[in-house]
Amino acid sequence: MTADDTVRDYISPFDERVRPAEPLAVRPDSVASARIALLDITKNRGTEFLDRVESQLQAAGADTFRIAKEIFSKPAAPAVIDEIAARSDLAVEALAD
Amino acid sequence: MEISDALRRVSTGLPAAPGPAGPLAPGRRAPAIAVTGIEPGGVRLDDLAGRGAALLLFVSEECPTSALAVRNLGPLCRAWESAGLSATAVFEDPLDVALRVARTLGWTGRVVSQDPPYQTSREYGLLAVPTAFLVGGDRIIAASVVGWNQPALADLVAKGAALVGSGPLPAPPATEPLLKPGCSSKAAMDPEVAAAVSRPAAADEMEEMFERGWTDGLPVVPPTRQRVEAMLGGADASSSLGPVPPSMGEATLERVAACAVLAGCRPAYFPVVLAAARAILDPAFNLHGQAVTTQPAGQLVVVNGPVRQALGLNSGMGALGPGSRPNLTIGRAIRLLVTLLGGGMPGTLDRATLGHMGKVGFCVAEDEETSPWEPLHVERGFDPDQSVVTLIGSDAPQNISDHRSRTPEDLAYILAWAAATAWSTNWWPLAEPSVFVICPEHAEMFRAAGWSKQQLREFMFDAVRKPAADLRRGETTPVVARADPADMIGKWASPESIVLLVAGGEAGRYSAVLGPCTGMGAQIISREVEPL
Repeated sequence: MTADDTVRDYISPFDERVRPAEPLAVRPDSVASARIALLDITKNRGTEFLDRVESQLQAAGADTFRIAKEIFSKPAAPAVIDEIAARSDLAVEALAD
Repeated sequence: MEISDALRRVSTGLPAAPGPAGPLAPGRRAPAIAVTGIEPGGVRLDDLAGRGAALLLFVSEECPTSALAVRNLGPLCRAWESAGLSATAVFEDPLDVALRVARTLGWTGRVVSQDPPYQTSREYGLLAVPTAFLVGGDRIIAASVVGWNQPALADLVAKGAALVGSGPLPAPPATEPLLKPGCSSKAAMDPEVAAAVSRPAAADEMEEMFERGWTDGLPVVPPTRQRVEAMLGGADASSSLGPVPPSMGEATLERVAACAVLAGCRPAYFPVVLAAARAILDPAFNLHGQAVTTQPAGQLVVVNGPVRQALGLNSGMGALGPGSRPNLTIGRAIRLLVTLLGGGMPGTLDRATLGHMGKVGFCVAEDEETSPWEPLHVERGFDPDQSVVTLIGSDAPQNISDHRSRTPEDLAYILAWAAATAWSTNWWPLAEPSVFVICPEHAEMFRAAGWSKQQLREFMFDAVRKPAADLRRGETTPVVARADPADMIGKWASPESIVLLVAGGEAGRYSAVLGPCTGMGAQIISREVEPL
């Protein structure tokens, strides 16, 4: 039996397509003057956490805005992602409980 | 005599035969590779080196030094990969053997295999395994190391980091032995000797399933082509039910059938598996949230209609427990779909703090013949003679013993209050469904009293109430937090949050309640079981 015969004998339950890893975005040296989206995923107490983060970012000179997901347990709607991409240089997502 | 001939004599004891002349030196162009991997469409060197650089580690199963190299380098591959340095173990063994050895030794990079006469090893001039080559994005060999040589391999990794322009990459650990000679490459052996030392393929098929990761932790039925085709029953293998969250693997019918085979389903069960798969993939079910949550939620499959008898599904004694192949394997097939094709495996994308055993598989058939009420699927708009699956995100069952109630009111009160701690003691009200599985003896009391299903549901809804003041310890809901202390808060947001089924053995007054999956916005989804 060759390796090829052995492999063909099974049907994989996996989706075997290889997805190349997305490279990480370049990290800025400073947040001063950066446009930063603060994404509230609607998890309990996430707003409090973002309030603290936002005040510190603003103190460092960042230009912030808030945006929210419909519900924390589902992926963000494409419109939310598009708005973050269009309006910001950086994004902060808050997970809390 | 050249060195290669001398080495060949030492390693094999045979006279010199035409073979490799020694590993290709740095600066030479790396030859193409002729190998087999699990990826469809084959593996090309340009793909491996294209994102920066490639490390090729030639090894073989029989060689202890190869095992040492695979074990020491294996855990580092992912970090290299994320920096653009791909890592590939090139085995001089059949692919199934290569995959088994790689998994056993913790290799996290790509695995490929060569058939005799090991042409790729020959073209790279291999005399020994392990031999490592570093190949740049320009396909030029930048470094090579023969045998296990920790300092040289650390240097090779540093060169790889420079090629991909990253910071320092994790190097092999400087633990003993730092140096260990390798073994003869099969490409450098007499072909008959190489064949003699090659192990037979697939020594243990069941173990191989674990090595491939095609399991939920229990033994599975190997999904041979023959079995998968039998499961498909002529259905179009390539048609798709759509992506399976959370990793969005494409649910071709062939892969769904492979999951059903792995789970132990008979082909006759496949229409039920397909209907349940369609139900969990309805966006309103929010499988994405259910699959990745820290909650214990599993996916409960409720089966109604004639298909229960046709397949022999158990709705009687031990209806929520072991013993019935169709119940156990249909539920398991759905969970394998989520874990294997959807990537929702506990410890990876499934972040459940505890989980529960229903996440192995959870399928119950309703005892419609014993029930005094219309069955679940009829409540949900189907005809009694339709076969239907209903999917509900649910927690583990909690037993409710009541052998003493003599009125339907007392029994309904006991049943309802058993659910007071569902989700959490003070989490009131619940909008998501609590599923009550009513045993036949309990159901008989409601039948004798002439209670309708809706009457019972509304009684239970009204029965479980507490003042808000009593619900303010620890975690509670915004409803409780906003209420006046004397306000009476119900356990459920509406009677419709109470789902009632009948199942279980004829003797014993034990019903059960299954708590909800909350916070997901997950709806109950029903789908008719259709012929293939």
